[in-house]
Amino acid sequence: MNALLPLIPLLPLGGFLLTALLGRRYPDDAHRIAIWAVVASWLVASLVALMTLVHIAPFGPQGSGITLWSWIPAIGFRADMGLFADPLTACLLIVVTTIGMLVHVYSIGYMAHDPGRWRFFAYLNLFMFSMLLLVLADNFLLVFAGWELVGLCSYLLIGFWYPRRSAAVAAKKAFLVNRVGDMGFALGIMAIWTQLGTLNMQSVFAKFGAVPHEWQIAIALLLLCGAVGKSAQFPLHVWLPDAMEGPTPVSALIHAATMVNAGVYLVARCNPIFGTASEVMVVVAAIGIFTAIMAASIAFTQTDIKRVLAYSTLSQLGYMFAALGVGAWTAAIFHLMSHGFFKGLLFLDSGSVIHSVGGEQDMRKMGGLARKIPTTYATMLIGSIAIAGVPPLAGFFSKDEILGGAFKNGFLWVWAIGFVVAGMTAFYMFRLMGMTFWGPSHVDPEVEHHVHESPRSMTGPLIVLAIPAVLLGLAIGFPPETGLLHQWLAPVFEHTIAASGRTEAAYTFFGIDGTLAIGTTALVAIAIVLAWRLFGVEIPALGLRSQPRPDQVRALSARRTMALLYKGSSNKWWFDDINNKVFVEWGGKLAAAAFWFDQTVIDGTVNGIGTVTAGAGMALRRVQTGRVQNYALGIALGLIVMAAGYLVISVTVR
Amino acid sequence: MSGSLDSYLVLSGLLFAIGTFGFLARRNAISMLMSIELMLNAANLTIVAFGAFVKPLQTHAAVIALIVIAVAAAEATVGLAIVIAIYRNKKTPLVDEYDSMSE
Repeated sequence: MNALLPLIPLLPLGGFLLTALLGRRYPDDAHRIAIWAVVASWLVASLVALMTLVHIAPFGPQGSGITLWSWIPAIGFRADMGLFADPLTACLLIVVTTIGMLVHVYSIGYMAHDPGRWRFFAYLNLFMFSMLLLVLADNFLLVFAGWELVGLCSYLLIGFWYPRRSAAVAAKKAFLVNRVGDMGFALGIMAIWTQLGTLNMQSVFAKFGAVPHEWQIAIALLLLCGAVGKSAQFPLHVWLPDAMEGPTPVSALIHAATMVNAGVYLVARCNPIFGTASEVMVVVAAIGIFTAIMAASIAFTQTDIKRVLAYSTLSQLGYMFAALGVGAWTAAIFHLMSHGFFKGLLFLDSGSVIHSVGGEQDMRKMGGLARKIPTTYATMLIGSIAIAGVPPLAGFFSKDEILGGAFKNGFLWVWAIGFVVAGMTAFYMFRLMGMTFWGPSHVDPEVEHHVHESPRSMTGPLIVLAIPAVLLGLAIGFPPETGLLHQWLAPVFEHTIAASGRTEAAYTFFGIDGTLAIGTTALVAIAIVLAWRLFGVEIPALGLRSQPRPDQVRALSARRTMALLYKGSSNKWWFDDINNKVFVEWGGKLAAAAFWFDQTVIDGTVNGIGTVTAGAGMALRRVQTGRVQNYALGIALGLIVMAAGYLVISVTVR
Repeated sequence: MSGSLDSYLVLSGLLFAIGTFGFLARRNAISMLMSIELMLNAANLTIVAFGAFVKPLQTHAAVIALIVIAVAAAEATVGLAIVIAIYRNKKTPLVDEYDSMSE
């Protein structure tokens, strides 16, 4: 049965190759191959995940692997082409293949009019292959290969509409920023190799305790560097919002639900490493929670619907890192899964909205769309409630577990910031809903009467995704901290948790946990009502109706203290400007200086040696007259000198 | 044997100097070849003189002198052949004119 494992990534790889080969000849039909390949891969992956989670041999809680062949069998170095599946892999497999499949289906409708459709589907399949390879790999080098491949696919898909300059630039930016993180990851892998002499994950984890402590910290920090790049955490977060230049299904699949989770997955997978280097855990938590609040604050003022969701993604990923940092490992994976589903849903919804209003992404030119595109509206409302953390939807349970974990593990500051971010999340999501679906229409009259619900291939995935957005929390996260997910993932994390010395206190609803949950929910409720007051609401079924008040919004943002915050938020806290100044301008000057140094000093030295040699040759060439007699004169004179010298010496010595 | 070794050596030194001067100063290829012969013969004279005055060297000197004569003959043959070949191309015996390999 282990032979099922290679099938999971190989099916999309085959799909990619076939689609890429046949696409030019059958541009209208080639994408079908890609879709069926992913559906098949989903079936196999679901089977493997199910067998792993309910412990059907050979799969089970301790994981089961298969070594296909020896990939790099050098002397003293060995990396195998091996795949491995344990409960953590199973959770990721479910998220990646399910959302991947739905995004493929959705893209049939979304990309229907694009002449490069087959290319798009080929890239998507390549991405699925890479991501599944990353998740299933059993050694660090193979993970790194998948890691780089997803980066490449991200680059290709962000720049899918490459004739548009902004898309090409965004693709390049994403690629370059990711390189920074990837270099850290690569160095981390090299450090692991020098310390342990193996790259196989299971043997690295088993032997990691024997590594000197400073090396443990160095390795953990370097791996974190890679994770921060891929999961777009501060300070490498700048690429993700720009990545929204890609087609919306790509934003949903790669930049919300799967690839950006790779960093979280890496840290969770390496929990024995991070658990041993406990100093790094604080760094993880700090980076995560800072990203969470920073990105949430930016999401307040963005007007591009996809950018709001992008900053929301950053913020939620920050939550996951915070959860990892405080040692709430399972909560992080829980949030990864629930966020994957509801953020995938929200992005696909935003794509449906953009599709219906003729490509417009500015929320100020939307409004009042609720009645015109009811399915999109209903599913997006569900997604928003889920991400806001309203019980009993998925986001409530996962976020509550993170905050509870932070509080109970003694990271009060993480909890406090996370608590505020929970309110902020609810606020900006309902701001988005208000601006897009409720209130008077600001849609261009030209476009207005073309507004239509998306085709069934697009609304279908929305409805399917709405189900886990509602039920996932209840299904695998309830009762809290003893739910199915905790039982599944316990074998993965139990050693690390036991080694950390923290005993998990039982969940007490009539105690600290319940208090925290009620507090968070109250804050979320206040934030939602506030958003309704400012940006409007229109839910007749609940008797809710209020008009947006742009004048109040303006007045609020013009207040002295708010004005600064508003300015910072709408300018994304100037991170792009700082990067531009430091890396583009100063870096460019440094590069120019280096170029000058290279041209004048380095090349000058080399060319100087050449010139001097050539000049000396030109001068000495005159000696070579070509007349034998001149040479013979030299010989004769030399002979005379030698004879005279001999005479003088023999006389004086005697 | 009349006289002393010195007079032979002085004679051969003079011959060698004349040959050297001829080789360096003359422009005619034939003259240069003749000068070379002169130098070879000066050397040969030294050798046989030493052979005559130093008993243990007598046979050796004769043999070496014979070899030198043979080499000189071969050299003269090849040299003259070259000079004639060049003369057919250049229509001149003057070595200054043989400059087709200089710039």
